[in-house]
Amino acid sequence: MTEVAFFVGAIGAIGGAIAVVAMRNPFYSVLALVVHLVFLAGIFLLLRAQFIAAAQIVVYAGAVMVIYVFVAAYVGGIEEPMFDSSPMLRIVGPILAVALFVEISIAVLGSSLTALGTDGSDKIQGGFGTPEAIGKLMLEDFLIAFEAASLLLLVAAVAAIILAGRKKAQKEAA
Amino acid sequence: MTALLADTTFVEATWILVVKSILIFIVILSVVPVVLLVERKLLGRMQQRYGPNRVGPYGSIQPLADVGKLLSKQSFRPKAAIPFLYEIAPALTIFSAVITLAILPFGDVQGGWGLYGIDVPIGILYFFAFSSIAFYGLLLGGWASGSKYSFLGAMRSAAQLISYEIAMGLSLLGVVMMAGSLSLVDIVKAQGEIWYVVPQIVAFLIFMVAGFAETNRVPFDLPEADAELVAGYQTEYGGMRFGSYMFAEYMEVLIVSGIAATMFLGGWMGPGPSWLDPIWMLAKMLLLTGFFIWIRATLPRFRYDQLMSFGWKILIPIATLNVLVTAVLVVAT
Repeated sequence: MTEVAFFVGAIGAIGGAIAVVAMRNPFYSVLALVVHLVFLAGIFLLLRAQFIAAAQIVVYAGAVMVIYVFVAAYVGGIEEPMFDSSPMLRIVGPILAVALFVEISIAVLGSSLTALGTDGSDKIQGGFGTPEAIGKLMLEDFLIAFEAASLLLLVAAVAAIILAGRKKAQKEAA
Repeated sequence: MTALLADTTFVEATWILVVKSILIFIVILSVVPVVLLVERKLLGRMQQRYGPNRVGPYGSIQPLADVGKLLSKQSFRPKAAIPFLYEIAPALTIFSAVITLAILPFGDVQGGWGLYGIDVPIGILYFFAFSSIAFYGLLLGGWASGSKYSFLGAMRSAAQLISYEIAMGLSLLGVVMMAGSLSLVDIVKAQGEIWYVVPQIVAFLIFMVAGFAETNRVPFDLPEADAELVAGYQTEYGGMRFGSYMFAEYMEVLIVSGIAATMFLGGWMGPGPSWLDPIWMLAKMLLLTGFFIWIRATLPRFRYDQLMSFGWKILIPIATLNVLVTAVLVVAT
């Protein structure tokens, strides 16, 4: 049963990811990305990481992708590609993609392959995916890193507001 | 025995879960038409008229007649609509509404049966996860209809949903901090001494206001403002697809009422023997649903910019302040 659920999740996630780059219409690309994220959340559930799965849906599918959908729905609906791909890009694109794939493969093979035991979840102590465990990790064990990240996000948000405000002020002055 | 997808606090046999799912679904499915009828009757009385009174005694089988009419209508699709998305959108909306019923607790574990669908440790996050899926049902419906009214209605609902979901989440954070758990069953149990509506009255008010916005009800029914947008995202829908949207809307009203009853009004708690628990829960849910109807008869609709500035500049700061004060008090005591 677990295997069936895994393959449903894996096929959905990979299919969604392929559809993101294969679709011509940006709106469908965004929808495919949502499908991908939902199936990915399913795989997190299989790994007993319930909090991550819920956060994945609430934050990515429910907030980040909503903004994407907004933009794509207003701007998109265009069947032809938004720009002509130059011959340069057609050569450089695949090369970069292959380079990234090789790099990730080296990272996976080199470091974390030994961690992929065949025994599955009983190697990990129970309840590691619950909100309590995540909260303990974030607010006790890695408090400084967590606070630094939140400060960084705050700076980014303030910067975005200031940039938007400056553009508006310029428009009014002109 | 371990569950397939997630650890639950109370593990039951699979057949019990199936029976429970069917039972919960049947109860809520039969409550929705009653709410529909009560809404029309109450609205009628509040507006000095009778409301439906032709079908059956006192118009009591009017909802059945409505569903019969919708079912027998031709499933019509506009030429400009995108076939697959247009058809899947109402299904998505109703799916995300029905699936949330699973976490509403109607009682504690009694005689080996947990009187709820499932009790997941992520509790209330489950509700938020599926209400973000519900957004796609509205937006796809509006976008795929190929009509500007539908599209504008969908865009309004999108902006409104994401704005008020923040206030809604922040308002529940206070309750979660006081109870020390996200699980709805634990939150009800933590209200043994005092219902959270008393210490968290600010959060309760914010939650109810945001709940009206989330369910697109008056005074926040901008997505379907008929004077400007015909019927918003559902303009091009007819027959049972329109029925699905309507059904999902009332289901969501019931769910928001249920969550409010669980988080603030002590859930299944009430005087009397323990077999009365589910009835108390249902009664509290229906009381809050009645409040939704009452507001619909009372208040006019907001203007769209008022709605946005109210959500972002008033509700969210108050909700944040409430979280801050609660956090300080929880740590201090």
